[in-house]
Amino acid sequence: MAKTIMIVDDSSTMLMSLRNSLEIAGFKVLEANDGSVALKTLQGGAKPDLIITDINMPQMGGIEFIGKARALAGFRFIPILALTTESQQGKRDEAKKLGATGWLLKPVSGTDLNKIIKQVLPGA
Amino acid sequence: MNGKPLRVSETEAGDALGAYLRLEQAIDSSLKGVVSDTESSAQSIIKQLRRLHDSAVTLASYLDGTDLQGGDLGKEIIESVTFLSDVGAFIERLPGKMERDLASVRSLVAEIRFLSELTSDVKAISLQSHLLSINAAVEATRAGAVGSAFKVVAEEMRRLATNSSAMAVKINKGLSRAQMIVETGVQSTIKESAEQLADVTKATATIGKLQSNFEDMSQYYKTRFSVVMKHNDDLVRDIVEALGQVQYQDVVRQTIERIRSATERRNDALRTLLLTPCGDQEDADLPVQLELILGDYLAEEAKHRHSVRQTQGADAPLKVELF
Repeated sequence: MAKTIMIVDDSSTMLMSLRNSLEIAGFKVLEANDGSVALKTLQGGAKPDLIITDINMPQMGGIEFIGKARALAGFRFIPILALTTESQQGKRDEAKKLGATGWLLKPVSGTDLNKIIKQVLPGA
Repeated sequence: MNGKPLRVSETEAGDALGAYLRLEQAIDSSLKGVVSDTESSAQSIIKQLRRLHDSAVTLASYLDGTDLQGGDLGKEIIESVTFLSDVGAFIERLPGKMERDLASVRSLVAEIRFLSELTSDVKAISLQSHLLSINAAVEATRAGAVGSAFKVVAEEMRRLATNSSAMAVKINKGLSRAQMIVETGVQSTIKESAEQLADVTKATATIGKLQSNFEDMSQYYKTRFSVVMKHNDDLVRDIVEALGQVQYQDVVRQTIERIRSATERRNDALRTLLLTPCGDQEDADLPVQLELILGDYLAEEAKHRHSVRQTQGADAPLKVELF
């Protein structure tokens, strides 16, 4: 059965790029254009196998989203990757502390992204 | 200003600043257009790449189906050719069988000839019996009444000899006809069969060639198929790579937005200067404000790195870091 990946980004181009790359790789994709929208989707019962989130977003940023998602029941161990242009070490440390699984700098090629997904999502 | 007069009057400076701000507004509008254009183009590229990928998948699916159908067809052809080869092998063995049959027919002809020769002996016996019956009849006549019964026997012997002779002639004719029919038929059959067998031998060779050609063709298409599938796989991999590269648009968008934010702050400062009466405190603060804006811009810029351009060197952030 295909694994489901949630992608969170305020850029429609990023969402479209990721959706197509991931669908081609055989994943089901859930989209959200902001951390707050993603959080509501999770609270609504969605259970993705992996979350890939941007960091700088208008309503709720990725770091806040990671912290709140980790606090939800059943989301303690689901891998969450940050995909961003943000490169401050402080932000990375904060994300790590809140439970992020990894930090990727944009742009990431489709092949690299698939390799990373296989690392954090065994059996994908 | 060292107490020296400015090169331009206050009015000219105001006009210049106003023109500068209008230029900046035009540039800002263009930058917004660039963001919009790159976004639109990037999304079109993604859609086209996806269509390309879907076509590649359709092609792969079509080729898979063709391979399976071709495999079935090939199997049927191989079975048919194998059957024809078996028939050919049987036909090739046929001359030997016919040769053996012909030897049997020749033996039959020899037997007929032998029987035909026996009819001559029967005729000779018949003639001898005939002569014996005549002599017996003469002697019976000479014996008179005593030999009358013997005369009857002699007459029967003569009739028997005559019948035997007639029968021997009939048998001889029949055997001659049979011999002629067999010999003529066999010769004709041998001639026709020899010609047909020559054709059959050619046909067998043709079947062998057909089998060999089919195997070559099958191998040729298998190789072609494999090459096409390899190209298709490469195509899909490149499409996925290209989809990732399109993310540059988001990086460019963010860079332009940081530039626009800094220039907007700078222009606000200049606009304030333009609208503030001479002698007010804000005039003196302008260089400080611009330095502040520059510092903020550079700091913000430093927080964002491009994963390809700006992740090299000892202090560069890791492009991928798994915690």
